[in-house]
Amino acid sequence: MSEELDSQLSAMFDDELLPQECELLARRLSRDGELKARWGRYAVMGAVIRAERGVRLNAPLAHRVSAVLLAEPELGAAASVRAPRAGLRWWQPLAGGAVAAGVAAASILWLRAQTPLAPATLSAAAQPPAAAHTVSVVNGNAGGAHDSYVTPRAPASRALVVPSTELANYVVAHSMFSTPVARRNLLSAFMTSEPGTAGTEDASDDAKSDAKGNAQ
Amino acid sequence: MSADASDLSLVRRVQRGDKGAFDALVLKYQHKLVKLVMRYVRNPAEAEDIAQEAFIKAYRALPQFRGDSAFYTWLYRIAINTAKNAVVSRDRSPIEYDLDRHNSEESYEMQGRMKDAETPEGLVLTDEIRSTVNAAIDALPEDLRTAIVLRELEGLSYEEIAATMDCPVGTVRSRIFRAREAIDHRLREVFEGGLGRAEELG
Repeated sequence: MSEELDSQLSAMFDDELLPQECELLARRLSRDGELKARWGRYAVMGAVIRAERGVRLNAPLAHRVSAVLLAEPELGAAASVRAPRAGLRWWQPLAGGAVAAGVAAASILWLRAQTPLAPATLSAAAQPPAAAHTVSVVNGNAGGAHDSYVTPRAPASRALVVPSTELANYVVAHSMFSTPVARRNLLSAFMTSEPGTAGTEDASDDAKSDAKGNAQ
Repeated sequence: MSADASDLSLVRRVQRGDKGAFDALVLKYQHKLVKLVMRYVRNPAEAEDIAQEAFIKAYRALPQFRGDSAFYTWLYRIAINTAKNAVVSRDRSPIEYDLDRHNSEESYEMQGRMKDAETPEGLVLTDEIRSTVNAAIDALPEDLRTAIVLRELEGLSYEEIAATMDCPVGTVRSRIFRAREAIDHRLREVFEGGLGRAEELG
């Protein structure tokens, strides 16, 4: 055995050999009995220097482990047996992602089905049912009118066209582009039809005064 | 130079189906592992059984080892768990040490608390090995002795030893190698004179 090889073995034992050299020497170490025996004696030296009392330096432990492993399948062989299954595993993350996306899509659709009105119209539509209920009671008490006169319970279509304060302001701001008659009709329609939903009472008053100002 | 490259190169070989490379790992770490397990069990023979079980578990689990940690750190954990399980299953009390103390296996104060329960012939052979190595170390030139002791006892890297001894790293490597050669020359006689277990692994 060359001195250089022994020197490399000593350095490898101390983890002081370059990785490329380690690769080459590990191959030889696994096959060369003499080299392996020397490697084992290096370990014994270290144990003695560290005064590892209680440890049997002549223990046949390595021999016993080696004997047991003789009956074990080689790891490379075991890995190759598993290889076909491992090869099919590439789609598993994709399948997982597809399932997650499907669940998310189903959740979104379900939530939409549970929410018939958009948030903006929901607040506006909160008032009419109470009003409708009141009208219904009044009508019923007043003259025993037929149920067909009762205001519909869910005027959702009306809720969707309720003019907002912004729309009124828009009309006022652009009043110069409309005729005075049309402007007046539109604004009076806003104010008289849905005073509660066109914004706050103050805002309606402001809009009125603005409209008058613009008209003059 | 990457730390643990030596172990990793052997581990990779084992993972590719080279059982002989695992022998080298067992030879390198068997003493450390037995010493580690002896914190849990007092009997060296039992400690060896547990260490053997730990090595076999490590071999079987090696396909899952990716090298994120050092091999010995990984092996250390397996041995600790194996020893704990063995103690629980045999309903024995472990020796009370601070088991989580980092590198506590390097502590020497606990050694005096351990019982030396070796068999007579095991004790004789171990003593023969120990006296041979110690005599060989005493006979070493000062620079070789210092280098090998700093490496094995203090666990210093070659670079740290070079700084300590004020010499190039290459000189440290050479000194440690020559120290080992001198010790091995005498140690081989002991092993070839009746033990020679390590040679059987080839």
